[in-house]
Amino acid sequence: MTIEVGVLVDLDFEPIYWHQPEGSDTAALPDSRVLWEVIWQCRDRVLGFAHSHPGRGEPGPSHEDLTTFAAIESALGKRLVWWITSEDVSVELGWMGPSRLDYRKGLALYEPEWMTKLRDLSR
Amino acid sequence: MEDFEARLNVTYGGANGDLPDPIPFDTADTVVRRTVEEAIRSGSIPGIGADPNVSLGDYVVDRFGPNEVRDFHLLQLRPKTPFG
Repeated sequence: MTIEVGVLVDLDFEPIYWHQPEGSDTAALPDSRVLWEVIWQCRDRVLGFAHSHPGRGEPGPSHEDLTTFAAIESALGKRLVWWITSEDVSVELGWMGPSRLDYRKGLALYEPEWMTKLRDLSR
Repeated sequence: MEDFEARLNVTYGGANGDLPDPIPFDTADTVVRRTVEEAIRSGSIPGIGADPNVSLGDYVVDRFGPNEVRDFHLLQLRPKTPFG
């Protein structure tokens, strides 16, 4: 992966919004008011958000990822699904508790077209 | 509202609301967060339910000056959205 990219996914498992902001690099997607506004506008039909990580193998959430997950969910008042993909493996995360940053990770067994496109856009 | 003041808006718990009283536009981010946390704990933001466990440390403050459709300063507190 040469750059991190994200995609907002709806309840029909379809992409709503491709997040490719200026300032993205191989290690991070910057804070974006635009992304938040899209999430808020689509809050009734948002299922979750996926983003790419550099490298191969099973990716894991950074502390930045976990705190962002928790912050967005607290603002929405609901839990979302969070996917992270490397060049070859995707995982999905969901809050399990009890603490604020206790998210459980599992391999994403089904890879939709938008996951493939996410990897392509990240190269 | 005075020229140096701003309306403070927050999105939390699936709702959006304004603090009843304005605050100085140049209020530091940390003070903005603390002010809103206290307001949410006490349930004093119309439209946003009380939450004794509110924590806004991962929220950011966006600042807007007056414009053609809003003749006052606005501070908006929202969740951060960086990943990586």
